[in-house]
Amino acid sequence: MSAPLSGLKVLDMGWLMVGPMSARYLTDLGAHTIKLESRKRRDPLRALGPFKDGKQGAERSLSYHMINAGKRSVALNIRKKAGRDVVLKLVEWADVLVESFSPGVIDEMGYSYEYLKSLNPRLIMVSTGILGRTGLFGRGTSGTGITGSAYAGATGLMGWPDRKPTGPHGPWTDSVAPRFVVSSILAALHRRKLTNSGCYIDVAQAECGLQFLLPAFLEFAANGIDPVRVGRAGSKLRSPSGAFRCQGDDRWIAIDASDQHDWISLKRVVGEALSDPAFDTIVGRLRQREAIEAALNAWTTPQEATRAEDVLQSAGVPAHVVSQAQDLVVDADLRHHNHYRKISDPEIGQAETTGPQFRLSLTPHVETRPAPRIGDATNEILKDVCGLSDQAIALLEGAGIVE
Amino acid sequence: MLNNIRVLEISAPETMLGGQILGDLGADVVVIEPPHGAAGRRIEPFLDGVPGLDRSLTWHALNRNKRGITLNLESPDGRQILGSLAAKADIILEAGYDSRLDDLDSGVTADTIRCRITPFSRGGPKASYRATDLIHMAASGAPSLAGDPDRQPLFFPVPQAMMEAGAEAAVAALAGLVARDRLNISQTVELSERMAALLSSLSRAVTGGSGDALGKRGDDTGRVPNMYDCVDGFMLISISMNRSLVHLTKGAAEWVADEGLFPHELANIDWANFESLTTSGKTPASIMSDLVAAIKVACLSKTKAELTAIAHERGFMAAPVATMKDIHSSEQFRERGLFEEAQLAGDGRSVRVPLRFAQFSDYSIELRRQAPLFSQHTHEVLSEDVGLSSIEIQALFVHGVI
Repeated sequence: MSAPLSGLKVLDMGWLMVGPMSARYLTDLGAHTIKLESRKRRDPLRALGPFKDGKQGAERSLSYHMINAGKRSVALNIRKKAGRDVVLKLVEWADVLVESFSPGVIDEMGYSYEYLKSLNPRLIMVSTGILGRTGLFGRGTSGTGITGSAYAGATGLMGWPDRKPTGPHGPWTDSVAPRFVVSSILAALHRRKLTNSGCYIDVAQAECGLQFLLPAFLEFAANGIDPVRVGRAGSKLRSPSGAFRCQGDDRWIAIDASDQHDWISLKRVVGEALSDPAFDTIVGRLRQREAIEAALNAWTTPQEATRAEDVLQSAGVPAHVVSQAQDLVVDADLRHHNHYRKISDPEIGQAETTGPQFRLSLTPHVETRPAPRIGDATNEILKDVCGLSDQAIALLEGAGIVE
Repeated sequence: MLNNIRVLEISAPETMLGGQILGDLGADVVVIEPPHGAAGRRIEPFLDGVPGLDRSLTWHALNRNKRGITLNLESPDGRQILGSLAAKADIILEAGYDSRLDDLDSGVTADTIRCRITPFSRGGPKASYRATDLIHMAASGAPSLAGDPDRQPLFFPVPQAMMEAGAEAAVAALAGLVARDRLNISQTVELSERMAALLSSLSRAVTGGSGDALGKRGDDTGRVPNMYDCVDGFMLISISMNRSLVHLTKGAAEWVADEGLFPHELANIDWANFESLTTSGKTPASIMSDLVAAIKVACLSKTKAELTAIAHERGFMAAPVATMKDIHSSEQFRERGLFEEAQLAGDGRSVRVPLRFAQFSDYSIELRRQAPLFSQHTHEVLSEDVGLSSIEIQALFVHGVI
């Protein structure tokens, strides 16, 4: 059975995460994706760890492998005229173009949507800036998911009230925005089948991030309360609910046993320490939050975290280790999902990368492949996709267009 | 975009954002709740801090552009109506495997894409786990790396696993739709809330098996500080040494040099070779801490808005640490058309709704409907979409089916 997007052609002119991760979704669904790169101005993701075996190198980043799995790479200087001609051929070939240059740069280079549309009216083109292309600061604002998260309001919500905000883990909007980008592209593909026309999609990563925080936004917009960072985990309307210390260095377990039946299950496991009748009602547990948390911490602290998870879940208590990298790689749920896929690459040898997050019952995703090495398919792409002769390619090499 | 598409959402916290994204993209979305109300109506914050089925701001935030009905899916009438709505639906969005649709004649849903969200992987070793949003996020790998190293891991104060699952479900459902368009096959697409949440840990998922350092909490902020106090809060300024981004660092150095806080000759070094310059002693080893100290002083006397304008003009990587109040009054977002002003359903107060998550050349995400009040469209949908008579609908209400 064909994959859902089998035969679809994607030109990935993105870097770092949002554009390329969006293109990876399409690649996993069967699209043929060409990643356009520069050797001189490398995708910064190639310099981001983790690196296979801890050895740095442009072809060794497992972040790059994860975000770019299954693509083919063409390395070109696209600012020179002859390079531009090649890009335009790729645009004519493509169904979808994803780019993440600083907003407006793609136009300055001569690849505005208005122009590309004249070459390929069916093209669906997406730009993934931090603030988008319009508004006071849209153009000219470069950034990463770190600044995107700050603009989205995420950074300010994460941290301890007595200290500076720390923000969420990493470039958070990089994980959020691709879902909105891919949904938009797939909807545009659906419509294109009916209208035969493409479109331009201008995404602001910060605005996508805000969609995940809408309840906090409405707390201000409707109630006039500007939410602040609270530090401790768990809802203030639930008790016990939070992270509790376990045995070992920085080991924690999340427990959320506020609901009555979960509380009864928890009491059954922990026993005497939670037997105070004052804890037996929801209101009682809110009022006695500190005492309950102290009792729970006393119970969890000497325990090995995964063992505590087993014991609690066996008794029907919502609980999970606060997973670290070493937990994820052996996680039974992720292994059962076959989330880790073996890849083999001449530079890094055998490694594991991640597979798609969701499943289709009848037209599955394609097999997960390694990410490309820089320019690993330049010649084939110039020949097969752009229709260039060996001689023309040699000329481009000589002129420094092919990098 | 999707204006020929009908979506049936059997409401759960983890379906809400997915249904909303499909509705924003133009689909006709009907959301089904049990007669006592959807779980999403009981999620804080509440309007004025007063709870009520129509007062959850989380519900209001995640159910725009949907019509809402109540239906008891345990009852024979409820199941028959569900079957009738399902037969007309292109996409059914549901949590888990207990929607009662499976008992129906599969013929009624032959052309429908089913998108199902389970807590953990179906049939897997954690399939029977009891889980809440907090539990899924603990399992995502992200909180263990967020926050200060001497304190507990940080979780968002807004439930996130349900957002992750909803947004991923929109992608999955649309992948199913495009597969139907291209291959003429309707199928089930399936994801787990935990798997969706995992993406928030980004490449941590591949770190454990990499042979590289595992990383720990505080790594994100520990190397070069990026959080600076300013007059009205905090400013985030990223000092990147990545070769492809280092020109942005130069912009920040030139700014503090012009402010008289940093030597011009150091601002003008070849930042691309920063490491070799410091290793060889050509620039002082303290250049980075000196730069950070200068930025710290420069920020103290300026507001977030002033610093944002400076960063934009000089081209360095920075962002205000925006609060929701800042976002609410942001000219950038307003000019861009992110917001729509709306009367909050059932309350009438005017609120600003950030809805346009993408700007299309020939389509605009519009606020066609506020989030439905409790059972707001039951009569309309049962009458117009299912074809029941007024007497029949009243009877269903009397018998507690709706």
